[in-house]
Amino acid sequence: MAVCVAIIGKDNSPKFLSSLNPDEELCFQYKILSSLDIVEEKIHGVNRATDNRELFLGLLYALETHKIYGYVTNTKMKFIIVVDSSNIALRDNEIRSMFRKIHSEYADIICNPFYIPGEPITFKSFANNIKNIMTGTV
Amino acid sequence: MCDQSVFEIFHSELVNYVIQNNETQLKNTSKTHGEDLSNLEYIGFSTGFRIIERLTRELPRFRDELDTMKFICTDFWSAIYMKQIDNLRTNHQGIYVLQDNCFRYLSKLSNTKQYLDLSPRYVTFTCGLLRGSLANLGIRSIVTAEVQTMPSCKFHIQVQRN
Amino acid sequence: MSRASNRFDTKKVNSELVTLTYGALVAQMVKDAENTDDVSKQLERLGYNMGVRLIEDFLAKTGTGRCMDLKDTADKIQSAFKMYLGVQPNVANWSPGGDEFSFILDTNPLTDLVELPDDLKNLKYCNIICGVIRGALEMVQLDVQSWIVQDQLKGDQNTEIRVKFIRRLEDAMPAGED
Repeated sequence: MAVCVAIIGKDNSPKFLSSLNPDEELCFQYKILSSLDIVEEKIHGVNRATDNRELFLGLLYALETHKIYGYVTNTKMKFIIVVDSSNIALRDNEIRSMFRKIHSEYADIICNPFYIPGEPITFKSFANNIKNIMTGTV
Repeated sequence: MCDQSVFEIFHSELVNYVIQNNETQLKNTSKTHGEDLSNLEYIGFSTGFRIIERLTRELPRFRDELDTMKFICTDFWSAIYMKQIDNLRTNHQGIYVLQDNCFRYLSKLSNTKQYLDLSPRYVTFTCGLLRGSLANLGIRSIVTAEVQTMPSCKFHIQVQRN
Repeated sequence: MSRASNRFDTKKVNSELVTLTYGALVAQMVKDAENTDDVSKQLERLGYNMGVRLIEDFLAKTGTGRCMDLKDTADKIQSAFKMYLGVQPNVANWSPGGDEFSFILDTNPLTDLVELPDDLKNLKYCNIICGVIRGALEMVQLDVQSWIVQDQLKGDQNTEIRVKFIRRLEDAMPAGED
């Protein structure tokens, strides 16, 4: 169960952000944008694992209260999931699975001819589907 | 799932729509000096951009630009045109030439120099498709097509680096 | 390097190619046209042109002969749907006179994942199918009308396309006409 999901575009501008608790949204925004540096490191940096071509980047960083995970598609779209640190039952595989579902949703919205890629995603159905993925009802 | 012929016939009608629309909007209708096929290229661009998102969903990340180009020439071209690109050449400095000796949309037109002047209409969508796909993979480019003898076609990709 | 590789399911890719290109075309038409009705009409016309050619392809691939009656025609179109769009519609809602019927589609690759924005609520997105039916049947001497009755993109359960037989067209021009 995630508390926040963000989709960031190639140019590092946010395309979509959703949190279960709207009050925490601003705080998450800041944390997520900071985590983008780590994403860049993991893909392009000197210390990157050689030949790791997996889309799932793993844990980006851990705060006192939250953990942040990243995932980058071949098309340079970045997905970020924020989970509550106290949720120790959540395993790596479950995070991977959530990312795959988010990727699937994104690939679907791309098929909508009235969505222009690069613009923020404002379709209600998309927001609902992401909420379901966050709460694990999918 | 759709039969192949649907897309071929649809592609022809797409070309016809753009040409007719140009005529009704009184755009340049000269056949010899380059019709305005920019709308057709944009439709190709939009399609390529979106389809690559779906095609690359399950694939591992590409290593580099050449890796991406090889993917375009093999898996991508096979999936869409039922065959691979016959020849890929590059100067390793951002110029790539993809040669298809029997390009699908030209093979129905002719095997000779007849209708050569109409060939741009049938390759423009694909130029856009390539440009859109590469763009979504982070490679900005200019894509043009060269047709000397049908049905063979060379797609020239010039990568734009900042 | 010429043999096709099998990494992707080419049928599925082809289907997505049609869906995405059709979507891009509709988006372009919306930009080019003055109003939504114009776009709907153009889609029907484009479909008509496609139908005129698709029928040749269909007849060549299936080697089918003349249809006995309208029910036979409906069945043939049903198999054409399967062949070209990969979906099997139900043929239903026959009129008492037997000259009108509907195709009921519960899935449609053209509208997969499409959501109409608010300002295009009147758009007949699937009008191309009506045009294809009209064009194809005209080539076999049947003058029909085809229109959308129910539309999944507008919130209906299914997409229903209705076909009405108008008249049989003459096979050859009567003597004395140019």
